[in-house]
Formats: sequence, structure tokens, C-alpha cells
Amino acid sequence: MRLTEARVAIRPRNPWEAVDLGVLLARQHRRLLMTSWAIVTLPIFALLTVLLWDYPSAAVLLFWWLKPAYERLPLLILSQALFGAAPSLKEALKAWPRALKPQLLASLTWRRFSLSRSFNLPVQQLEGLDGLLRAQRIALLGQRNLRVVRCLTSMGSTLEMCFWIGLMLLFYALIPQQVELDWSWRSLLEIESGWNWLEHLTNAFYALVLIVWEPIYVSCGFALYLNRRTTLEGWDIELAFRRLRQRLVGSAYALLLGVSLVFSFSPSTAMADDTVDESNYSCPLPPLDLPQTEEQLAAPGTARLLSQPLNSEASQSAIKAVLDSPPFKNPKAVSGWRLSDQKRDAKTAKNGDTSQWLTRLVLILLNIGKTLSSVFEALLWTAIALAVAWVTWRYRGWFGTFVSRDTRKPQVRRDAPRQLFGLQVDIESLPDDVASAAEKLWPEAPREALSLLYRALLNRLLTDYQLPLKNADTEGQVLERVAALNQPPLHDFSRELTRHWQNLAYGHQLPASEVQNDLCEGWRRLFTRGAAT
Amino acid sequence: MSDHPTPQSSSADPALHAVEPKGSDASSAPASNPAQQRQRAIHLAQAVRHELQKAVIGQNTVIDDVLTALIGGGHVLLEGVPGLGKTLLVRALARCFGGEFARIQFTPDLMPSDVTGHAVYDMQSEQFKLRKGPLFTNLLLADEINRAPAKTQAALLEAMQERQVTLEGRALPVPQPFMVLATQNPIEQEGTYPLPEAELDRFMLKLRMDYPQAEQELEMVRQVTRSTRSDMLDVQPLRTLMQAKDVQALQRIANELPMDEQVLDYAVRLARATRTWPGLALGAGPRASIALVRGGRARALLRGGEFVIPDDIKGCALAVLRHRVRLSPELDIEGMSVDQVLKQLLDQVPAPRQ
Repeated sequence: MRLTEARVAIRPRNPWEAVDLGVLLARQHRRLLMTSWAIVTLPIFALLTVLLWDYPSAAVLLFWWLKPAYERLPLLILSQALFGAAPSLKEALKAWPRALKPQLLASLTWRRFSLSRSFNLPVQQLEGLDGLLRAQRIALLGQRNLRVVRCLTSMGSTLEMCFWIGLMLLFYALIPQQVELDWSWRSLLEIESGWNWLEHLTNAFYALVLIVWEPIYVSCGFALYLNRRTTLEGWDIELAFRRLRQRLVGSAYALLLGVSLVFSFSPSTAMADDTVDESNYSCPLPPLDLPQTEEQLAAPGTARLLSQPLNSEASQSAIKAVLDSPPFKNPKAVSGWRLSDQKRDAKTAKNGDTSQWLTRLVLILLNIGKTLSSVFEALLWTAIALAVAWVTWRYRGWFGTFVSRDTRKPQVRRDAPRQLFGLQVDIESLPDDVASAAEKLWPEAPREALSLLYRALLNRLLTDYQLPLKNADTEGQVLERVAALNQPPLHDFSRELTRHWQNLAYGHQLPASEVQNDLCEGWRRLFTRGAAT
Repeated sequence: MSDHPTPQSSSADPALHAVEPKGSDASSAPASNPAQQRQRAIHLAQAVRHELQKAVIGQNTVIDDVLTALIGGGHVLLEGVPGLGKTLLVRALARCFGGEFARIQFTPDLMPSDVTGHAVYDMQSEQFKLRKGPLFTNLLLADEINRAPAKTQAALLEAMQERQVTLEGRALPVPQPFMVLATQNPIEQEGTYPLPEAELDRFMLKLRMDYPQAEQELEMVRQVTRSTRSDMLDVQPLRTLMQAKDVQALQRIANELPMDEQVLDYAVRLARATRTWPGLALGAGPRASIALVRGGRARALLRGGEFVIPDDIKGCALAVLRHRVRLSPELDIEGMSVDQVLKQLLDQVPAPRQ
């Protein structure tokens, strides 16, 4: 890779601008990129279609899943085209299997769903990094611009879907109406068979969409990668220096020559040239130490020591083993608050004894804190247990509906209207023995007595027979509902009572005296005995 | 364009006079016991109903409602798809009723003077003579009333409300009793003129005729195909049961039926509820309350009751209210019908009790 041969102006760009650059790059090499993509992917698609003819969805899913494998080809072309001549179609196709091999499994499995796929691909394919190195590299590169990379991938998938649906719609729009009618009839008649080709056709639209979009996507990711490296490694500065060197290299030689000539022709006296006569000084410098010190002469690594029967390496390892064994080292796990050694060392070095008690105090405080924390933990757990217990008790009825062994259903409390037609019909307003109360009332106030009976009847209809009586129901409608119950005695009694009640209420006709007996007897027969049995 | 009154009473079967005097007595002997009068009136009304049910099969509720309007002194607008016997019903009623009967077939070129009458210059006497239109009758069948333009429909307004017609500046009373039975077709919108609200409001009841039940239709088909007059429904064998004064007597007796304050209040509450009801853009006016009370009284008489009960009011409420209210646009768009909304209303307004 030679920066000077780059076909693009290398300078740090805004990430979106870099994406734009990627689009331009793809446009420049569109023919090569798309042709190569089509040559690679369409046979694969055809193969998948044939293999999975009965499972069109599986075919397109598999085709989609293999996308990272095809993506290496456009990157290969782009990387060569950017720094030098673009490869020919044949060269690119030949080089693709080699580019395919490294880390293919990873790309197709756990890296398949990475949103920064296009950005990371150059790291593994062009830099050839793997494992920890790759992870570090990606972490470094991905410190910035990662958001844009993810955006690119998600927008890319959206675009793919849009194009795909658009193509399908176009196809649908081009079907003549007769044919379409025919199809819909056929699809109506034969439900499952014979429609795979249509689904494979729509799958093919996806493959076509990918031919257009996927090189652009790879190119954008590559441009983002280049941009990031430009920023990180200062490619633009390097290029500027190189240009500077190119521009100045001729004049620099001349300048160098001139300067050296100037300096060579002007003699000067150098202090070092004077020989120092040591004897002139009263206190001569001590002789310099020997270059070979004793340490160097008898180091453990010297050949003299290594050639002995018990050599230094063996003894060193023996000593180390002895030192690591129990009398010298007793490794024991102790947990607690401590100051780190470095800090303590620094402190002790600075303040000496005065900091010792301070350190101890801090440690004691920290350990108290630890004890307190366990106390609080216990308290918190207790609080949670209490809260659960309280909630259980509070909503015991609600829980009971799920786990209760009590199969007896709670009494259904229907919200019976307390007042109907302006009459008090709730059970509290009625006496226990309605018939006797009516009989007692009859001589003085026959109207109240009849009203009481009618109210009691409505109450019975509401509670015992669960009739859905409403405020808007007239007496006639109540009677109709009673008739629908199909209980002749009840219906007869209700009709009789209603008739007398209407006569009294709307016709202002007092009932005859024998009516009292009939009605009260009727009531007793219907309700009092029914309740007793 | 218009049928001339047929003298129904003359063709009445002599055997029917056994029934007829009942009504005549009821009207002619006001001094007799009111309860007895009432009983006779009830018998007469039920006899007419029975007679009509023989002619028009499967439309018992509509027959009841028409009789309600007759006894209540109101007019009826009959709506239904063709072939349900709207005209037959009116002809049968005219047959049972000995008064004058006229029929106007409303057409787009019908003029108001064709309905009310006009002045004609008489060459012999050299004077203008008034020629009364078909409106001057007891029972007027306005067939397909929505085919005539609004000005012709408006010719009926005065007669329907004031019971008089102003011709050449003179107010001429129409004969009593006077009842307009108009029919209209709901599905044919082409070339029809919807009735204006003022006109609709003057109809006491708007009745919807629906298809008859299966067994009733069976019976009807059996009966009609036996007749010699092919598909023409025969109303000839019906007996003439009452005369104009009998109808007036029935109306008077119905108006005298006792009515409790609570029931009156219920009728007024029903009419008032339509004005504030959320689903209705336009509520019913006071004419609706009046029609409810009259209708309730008439139904009580038809039922054979001696006083009015809330069921009577509720029974005719739908027919009284359905043409006087207008559905709010939202519900109209939702596809709700006026009847559905009114049924909800009737289900919500509390019935009276004491």
C-alpha cells in the first residue's frame, strides 16, 4: 500500500462525507463491482433455489446469511483499485477464493449479526489480523465513527427491503389483469402447490437488489475504515511531508553540498585537538573504571558457571522452589479493606510513623463499614421478605383465585338496582313476611299494600330469577320477561298482580277486597313455601 | 290522477248492520253509561282490526298503528318497499270505513290546485265556480307522495294541520274525520323529492312496512292465487263496519280515556329526551308529545283497556318519533339507523311507576 498512489484525496473527513466517498468509489468501479458480484452470487442463488425448491424462504434466508462471504470480493477489488490499478474481472474472481478462506466461519456465525460488519471487514481481510490483535485493533478503530457504521448497516438493510418491495410491486404492476385474475383464481382453488416459482422469483428480486446495493455498502464501510486510519495515523500529514520531500529533494542536495563545502574550507581550532597534560594538575582524575566489572565477569549466565556439574541455573530454580514452599510462603485468601501496597509505601516513605495510625484508622473504619454493610444487607433482605408477606396478605383473595383449594365459588354479588321505576326494590326496604305485611296494610292503605306486593315481586324477579330488568321497562315488558321464564304459576300471579297494580296506579280503581286474599295467598304459595322447601 | 269517492256505505252487506249499530249507538247515545260506550267502542275497533287483518295478511302491527292514527285523529306516512300492500291496506281501511275515500297518485307534474281544487268559470251562470279537489274527503290516500315536488306536497299542509283548505280566499273546512295516508318508497331515490320537515312533523305516525313472516306469506299467497283477479288483491268481501260519525265517536271516547299524570309525564319525557340525546342532531317538537299522548290513548282503546298505561305510550313511540328526529352525522356514517337509536333511547328513559 503506497499512500502516494491513492486514487482519492486523502484527508480527514467527516464520517458522513466518508460514506459519500464510498458511494463515489463504488460508482467509479461500478461495472467491475457489480459484474463480479453478479457472477459470484447469482450461481449460488440458483444453486440454493434448486436445492431448496420446496422451501423458498429457507433458500432466501441462506442466501442472505452468506452475504459476508460475498462481501469479501468487492473489498478485494476496492482495496486494489484504491492504491493502484483495479484488477481485471478474471484476476478478482481468481483472488476471491483465497480471500474467502481466513476466518470465514467466524464471519458467518458469531460475527454475522455485527452491525459494524463492513467496517471490521478490512481489519481481518486487509490487515490479516485475528483473535486478540483483531479485537484490539477494532476497539481502537471503533472508538469513533462506530455510530455512523451502525447507521449505515441499518439503513442499508432498510434500503434493501425498500428496493426489494419496490421490485415486487413493479413486477405486480406489470402483470396483465387477466393473468392476475387467473392467478388469484388458481391460488384460491389450489392452495399450496405450484406457487414456489413465484416465491423464488421474488427471492431473485432480492438477489438483484443485492447486486446494486451490496458493493456500495462494502465500499462505504471501506471508506469509513480508510477515513479512521487517516485520522489515526496522520496519513495526510505523511503525504504532505512526502510531497515536501519530493519538492525539495533536488535543492536539498545542492544546499547540503554547498554547506559542506563552506565548512570544509574554513579551518578552525578545536579544544579537543589540544593534548592535555595531566601532570600539570595537582589532583589528577582517577583512572576510569574497567569496562569489565566483576559482576560481568562472574554473572550467573557466564559460560564458566554454566559448564559446572551443579550449574547456576539449576541452583536458581532449586532455590526458587524452596522459597515458594510452605515455610516461606503460606498463601491464604483474606478479604477485607486494605490500602494498596504502592500507596502505603508512598505514605510510609513520606510521613513515616505519623501516617501509620492514620492508615490503621482508615482500615478500621473500612472494616466497620464492611460489617455495617452486612448488617444492612440482612436488614434489606428482611424488609423484602416482609414486603412480600404483606403483599401476599393484602392480595390474598386475588391470589386465592389462582391457588385456592376452596372450590366453593364466592357468592356472585349482582349489582341489583336498589331502586327501580321509582320504587324501592332492595331487600332491606321490604319486610320479611311480605304477604302478612300486605294483609296488615290492606284495610287502611290498599295502595301501599299493592305497591308493597309489586315491589316485592320485582325484587324476587331481580334476585331469585335474575331477570335483567331495567328502569325503562314498562309493566308490560316485565310481564313479557316473566313469560319468557316459562313458569306458568309465576306468570299467572305476576299477570294478576300487574293488572291490579295498573288498575290502581293508572286507572285509579281500587281493587276488590277478595283480591287481597288471592294475591297474598298467591304470594305465599309462590315464594314463602318455595323458600321454606 | 285521483279517484273519486266511492259510496261505500251503499254497498255494505245488510248482514253487517248487526255489528254496525254498536258503534252507532256508542256515538249517538252519549247519555248512556260511559263504560258501556267504551265497551262498544272497543268492540267496534277490534272488529275493524279483525276485518283489516283478513285483507292485509302478515302486517298486524301496521294495521294496529293505522287504526291508532285513525282513532288518534292523526295522519300516517307509510314507508315500505313495493309490493308489501301499502295501498291495499289503505283501500281495505276505506272499504271498512263508510266515509268518503279519495286517492291521489302523486306525480312530478302534479300541481297544488290538482290537490286542493280551483275556481272554474261557468259559461252559463257567468260566474266562477269553485271546484273542490280530491282533498275534500274523509280518507285520502296520497300514493307515492315523495314523487311530487315540494309545492304540491305543501298543498296538503293546511288541510292536515288546520283541517281546512283556503281556496280563492275562502277557508273551506274538510269533512270530519279527515285522515291522510301517504305512502312512499324508501329505495327509489331517482326522481323523488324528500318530504320537508314541516310536512313530516304533521304526520302523526310514520310506519315501516316490512316483509311478512314465512307462514303468513304462505297464507297470503294461498289466498291470492285462489282469487279470480290474478295478482290484484281483493278487498271487495270486506264489510263496512263504521261510518264517519262512528270514527268521530271513537276519537272522542279515546280522548276521554283517563290518563294518569305519570303516564303523561312519561310521554313528554320521551319527546324531550330526543332533544338532548347525544345521537340525535335534531329532536322532536311538542307535536311529538301530543302525538304520543293521542297515540297512547288510541292504543289503550284498541287494547281494550279502560285507561292509558305506559306500555301504550311506549308501543307507539317509535312510530311517532322516527320521522321527527334527525340522526347525528357521526352515527349516520357509522351506519346506525334512526330506529336503533330510538330503541336505545326507549331503553334508557325510565318508565313511570308510583
